[in-house]
Amino acid sequence: MTLSTKRALLKGFLDMLPLCLAVIPWGILCGSLAIQNGFTAVETQAMSLLVFAGSAQLVAIELIAGNTSLLTILFTTFIISSRHFLYGLAVRHKVIDQPMRWRLPVSFVLTDELFAFSHHRKAYRTKTRLIYALSAGFSFYITWNLWTLIGIVAGSLLPDLTNLGLDFAIAATFIALVIPAIKNLATLATVVSSGVVASVLKSQGFELWLVAAALTAMTTGYLISRIRGKLEHN
Amino acid sequence: MMTIILLMACITFCTRYLFLHRDLPFKVGPKMQQFLSFSAPAVLTAIWVPIVFVTDKGINLDWQNPYLSAAIAAIIIAYKTHNIYYTTLVGMGLFLILN
Repeated sequence: MTLSTKRALLKGFLDMLPLCLAVIPWGILCGSLAIQNGFTAVETQAMSLLVFAGSAQLVAIELIAGNTSLLTILFTTFIISSRHFLYGLAVRHKVIDQPMRWRLPVSFVLTDELFAFSHHRKAYRTKTRLIYALSAGFSFYITWNLWTLIGIVAGSLLPDLTNLGLDFAIAATFIALVIPAIKNLATLATVVSSGVVASVLKSQGFELWLVAAALTAMTTGYLISRIRGKLEHN
Repeated sequence: MMTIILLMACITFCTRYLFLHRDLPFKVGPKMQQFLSFSAPAVLTAIWVPIVFVTDKGINLDWQNPYLSAAIAAIIIAYKTHNIYYTTLVGMGLFLILN
């Protein structure tokens, strides 16, 4: 293993570490909630190993426990997962020239968390950057499965960590990722409109709040950057 | 049960893989790329802001809300330091004290 490979592996792991820790309450909840709702240990772990999508898993566990129809479960999974289309589109030009053996694992671990580390101009474009991304992505995968396992084994012994307000950890890590990225008016407008629209739609119980807020905010940011571009030309 | 889990896995994987597939009948043009460049701040903010403001009872704008004060502290630290470790530690620390 070369020095640059080792460095990329370590940097990927360390950059993702705060996010791996921030999802502890959710990982444990995924494990314990499934067990409480009659899933076997194998099924519960398989869900984290194969589906690997926290919000989709938690919602599906509730739906399955409520004897919801298969079609509804799958449709809901699709709605919650539809934000991944945006991620794929956004990183497509960076990843698409890489062979399948890199693109396949990258897409498997392309979570919200990994996407947050994907804006660098050269992200995914060099071997070192790919190793960095896979190290970050798979360290998140491994820890997510570890937290699920803890939830399976010790879920009944632990208090419900999500009621302690530990969900704030996710907010704090995302704040740390978003705020430094605000470098111009367009991005500031994106962030403000996204927060307002998401909060209003979610509090109204609108199912598509996440995607709707993201698209509205992206449109706002895009329009402002176009207008500013035109003003600078004139 | 295993069937449901496998079908769900197919859905999440397909949504992640689709646009990383080579042979798609379109190209992402420069305007689309510019639009997409706002996707990370947009989606991440749409996830974190409701954690701070939205409760089961609606939007909570109360200044006593520990989520709000800790979030403001985290925003200031993130702006000043650009460091994810400091931001998370200070934000979480303050939140646990207030809560």
